[in-house]
Parts: sequence; C-alpha cells; structure tokens
Amino acid sequence: MEEAFSEAARGMFALMVELSSVTRKTSIDVICCASSTESLLVDWLAELIAQKDLHHCVFVSFKVQIGFDAGQWRLRGRCEGDIIDPERHRLGTEVKGISVAGLRVGEEDGRWVAECIVDV
Amino acid sequence: MTCIEVRKIDTNEWEIPQTGDMRVPARFFATDEMAAELIEEAGTPNVWSSLVQLRNVASMPGICGAAVALPDIHPGYGFPIGGVAAFDIREGVVVVGGVGFDINCGVRLMVTPLCRKDVAGRADLADKLYRRIPAGLGSKGRLRLGIEEIDRLLRDGAGFAVERGFGTESDLEFTETHGRLPGADPEAVSLRAKQRQFQQVGTLGAGNHYVELQVVDRVDDVEAARTYGIEKDQIVVSIHTGSRALGHQIGQDALREMEEAAEKFGLPIPERELACAPIQSEEGRRYLSAIACGANCAFANRQVIGHLVREALGEHYGIRSSEIRTVYDIGHNFARIESHRIDGNEPTAVLVHRKGSTRAFGEHAPDAPRAYQSVGHPTFVGGTMGTASYVMRATEKGVRRTFASGIHGAGRRLSRKKAAKRFWGEKTREELDGLGILVRGHSMRGLAEEAPLAYKDVDDVVSTATDAGISRSVARLRPLVVIKG
Repeated sequence: MEEAFSEAARGMFALMVELSSVTRKTSIDVICCASSTESLLVDWLAELIAQKDLHHCVFVSFKVQIGFDAGQWRLRGRCEGDIIDPERHRLGTEVKGISVAGLRVGEEDGRWVAECIVDV
Repeated sequence: MTCIEVRKIDTNEWEIPQTGDMRVPARFFATDEMAAELIEEAGTPNVWSSLVQLRNVASMPGICGAAVALPDIHPGYGFPIGGVAAFDIREGVVVVGGVGFDINCGVRLMVTPLCRKDVAGRADLADKLYRRIPAGLGSKGRLRLGIEEIDRLLRDGAGFAVERGFGTESDLEFTETHGRLPGADPEAVSLRAKQRQFQQVGTLGAGNHYVELQVVDRVDDVEAARTYGIEKDQIVVSIHTGSRALGHQIGQDALREMEEAAEKFGLPIPERELACAPIQSEEGRRYLSAIACGANCAFANRQVIGHLVREALGEHYGIRSSEIRTVYDIGHNFARIESHRIDGNEPTAVLVHRKGSTRAFGEHAPDAPRAYQSVGHPTFVGGTMGTASYVMRATEKGVRRTFASGIHGAGRRLSRKKAAKRFWGEKTREELDGLGILVRGHSMRGLAEEAPLAYKDVDDVVSTATDAGISRSVARLRPLVVIKG
C-alpha cells in the first residue's frame, strides 16, 4: 500500500512536470490521517497539492509509511523535489484538486491499487 | 448497463421523466444527434454518463422544478458540467459537485479601440502579453498579500483590486454583482486556503484558462451588440480564469466537510461526489459563505489580469486605459440564492447551483447594469483556441426553462489523456499559427490537451441553444492571440 501511495503521488506530479527534469534539492515531511484508506489517499494527495503552493515546489520522490492506530489510518511521508523553475523544469498542467470520483484503494491479485481522479 | 428513458418535449429539449428515486424530472437541451450520443453514453459500461449524473442530481433532497443541463453538457464529478439545479432553501442542500474546485471560474470581456489589422500577425504583441500575464504552474502574481489583506480581498472582491490601482470603479459596474458577493466571511475559509493564495492573485492558472485577443467576426444581434459597445472587426479581450489556489482549497475542504455532514444528517446521496449539507445547517451556511469568498477572490483575480492587459496594450499602441472598457464579467461555477418561479407558481427563493453554466437573466433584471437593462446582461461562451467564442444573451423562454442559465463553453469531446496522446503541443501551435492564430503557452502538453479537436463544435452548441429558443447569439468572436498557462 505504501508503494502504491508513493506512486500515486508521482503520477499526480507527472501531470504537472516532467519528473526527470526535477532534481531533489529540497524535502518536506507530510503527516495525515483519515478513517479509511480511500480518504487517506485523497488527503495525502490534497496535502501535496497544498504544499506545492506553500513551498512553490514540485515533488518527485516519496517515502511513505502507513499505519493503523486508534481507529485511524496514519501516513507519514518524506517528499523530495525542487523549487519550481520554468527555465529548468518542463511544466505540464496544474492539478486543482483531488476528487472522490473513481476512488479505489485495495489489494488485487497480490498488488496494491491506489486510484483516484484529479481535477485539472 | 444503464437504460435511461428519454422523451423529446420541444425543439432540442428533452426530458428524463421522474421515476424511481428522482424527486423531479430532468431536462436537457440537445439536438437529435447529441441526444443519441448521450443516450448511448448512458448505456455504455464503465463510462461516465452525463445523463446518469443528471438523473442522480434530480434525486437530491429539496430539489425543485427539474434538474437541467444545457447543450454543452458533459460528465463532471457527480454533477454534469453544463448542469443547473435549484434547491428549496428550507429543505434543500448545497452540493459540492454543483460548484466544483474552481469557484467562480468565469470570463471577463473587454472592448478596445483596435481593429483586426492592428493585431493580426503581431508576434511581438503576443510575446509581450505572454511575458506580462503570470500564467502556468508556479506563476506568481504582482500582488503579494498577507493574511489581513487576503481577508479584505475575500470580503471586497474586485473592489479590493481597484483600491490597489488595478482598474477603475467603472469595471465594477460591469461585473456581475459589482465584483463582490455579499455574505463572504473570511472566517469560513481555512488558513491553508489563504496561505496558498498569498502569491496567486492576478495569475491566470493553466488548463483551459486563457487570455485571448479576439476579433468580432460577426454580429448577430445588432441592438444588443450596440448596447454592449461591440462592433464588427473590433478587437476584444477575453480573460478566462477563476479563484485559483484559494478556490481549489475551499473545494477540497468542502468535499471532506460535506461528506461528513451528509453522514451526520443521514442524507441519501446517490454518489459520493454529490456530498452535501442542508442549506439550513452550520456546515451548509459556512460552505455558502466560503463560496462567496472564493467568488470574490476570482473577481479580484480577473480585475488584476484585466489591468495587466490594459498596461500591455497601452504600452504597445499608446492607447489609454479608459479606451479599453469592460463589457461584462460573469462566472460559471456558483451556488447562489435567487428568486425563481417553480412550475409556474409565485417566485420563491431557491439555491441555484450552476456548474459550467452562467446566470442569464433577461431584460430588466435588477442585477444587470443600468446601461444593459433594455437587452439584459451578456453571457459568454468560450470556444477553443482554433474556433470561436460567442457573446450571448438570455431569452424569456431561457429564463423560464433553465432557471435563467446560459451555456459557458463548447464542452470536451476527448479526455485530456486522449487529447495529449493524439495531439502534439508544438504541432498544435504551428497549425494554429498557419490559421493566423498566435498561441503562447507555458506548457506544450497543456496545448495538446487544449487542442481544438478535443472539444465539441462550439457553433453546434450555440445553435442548439438558439434553436431551442433558450438563448440568443449577439456576436461571434475569433481568436487572434491566445495566451495559455
């Protein structure tokens, strides 16, 4: 599940920037919690969108830890990336928000799937 | 597979009769061909269906009259784009999907003293506008605000920008609700939303947002065009953007809060994206106040960008700011309390959601600028980079059948993913250049996703509405310079 969440974040940022054009010069830590894994996915990605604006950064590498405690799913993520620079980064479109449409988190055929639709 | 019963009730007007969980019928406007496509879409597995979404909206608590969709209908998040739904303010709900992430995304149209030959082929002008207007991911606006200033902006809307020297009072007269929705309490907006907006006031954004210099290609309604100050071959400016990061965060916060509220109040919602709260609840009232804040932020945003365009054109051509006049500024993602007749009864207060749809009140509407009273305020239909946009106005039938709503765009035909696979940004730009349309964009992928063929034919969408008698075309506009994020 942690890898799925990490890849979901990479997939989202891949809409915003060509990942290979971004170096890992800065890092932030993100914490979120939710009552379900689906809501956790939405909160995780929404938090990253907010951090993008607050730090003026795009993130391309994620180390995610997820646990369940006292009825809540808890996520801690270390996110690495760089300050947005149109001269160095090949920019894509902007993700506005994380919808709950098509929201799916679960294990299928031995793999974890984390899926949602983002608004651009 | 979903089967939807549909029957034609008038020219380009269809009804999904009230059945099952529906509390009211649903009504949509489409040609026979468009309707056939929509019905086929509804019957296709694993495909989002506009009509299924419209039917779901018709089942929401407190909905009045009918759930309505205009000819640019296409699937949204639970609530179809081009959709309109009115809810009783005592018994009804406010629905996140009916407003969306980009609160008061809308269009400002300005007229200039320039004509086609002044602008056609002017790459230097396109480059100047591209440099002057902050756009694309990570762009920062000229205004850098702190928390107190953001709070003032959320209360005062476009007037805040005017106070700071971006434009004049006359812009406000020709902005919907004078560029400020009442009832905007900054306490209803999270600190996170405000912080995200500190550097984004006066930025265009990305995706389908744009600034365009357009030429008035055709005038269809001479009286209305004259009233609005529009004439053939004139150069006009269209600015399409919304509430930026603040609006996005309000939408994101509301999604969670409305989900919790729907559960708390035991509201039966057919899809998760139709999360909602009773209008007469603390959660509902707070969200409505936040919507007003987001709307005011968008009005301020377009006010600033309008001024930047004036600056650029003034430098380039030596024209005064006063010669570039705002025709109107109107939003197309909103939920607002209005008075409407439901099923021919006396007017009653309802909360009208318009998702990808504008207000379109007709002649002598109290909100319209005094100068426009005889014809009603204009509405704008944004086309694609390669086709056309339209200035429209309401008809009496439109006011009656659509809760006074107007179409706002062409509607997507291809998803962004499919468009990005089919079209190349650089090639799209070259092709448009060959048509005399100068495009400057901050993202090649973005240009591909916005390729003209990714959208429905705007002429068809407009004619569907005019043939149905719910709207009237005033003028058609063709792009000459397009700035995108």
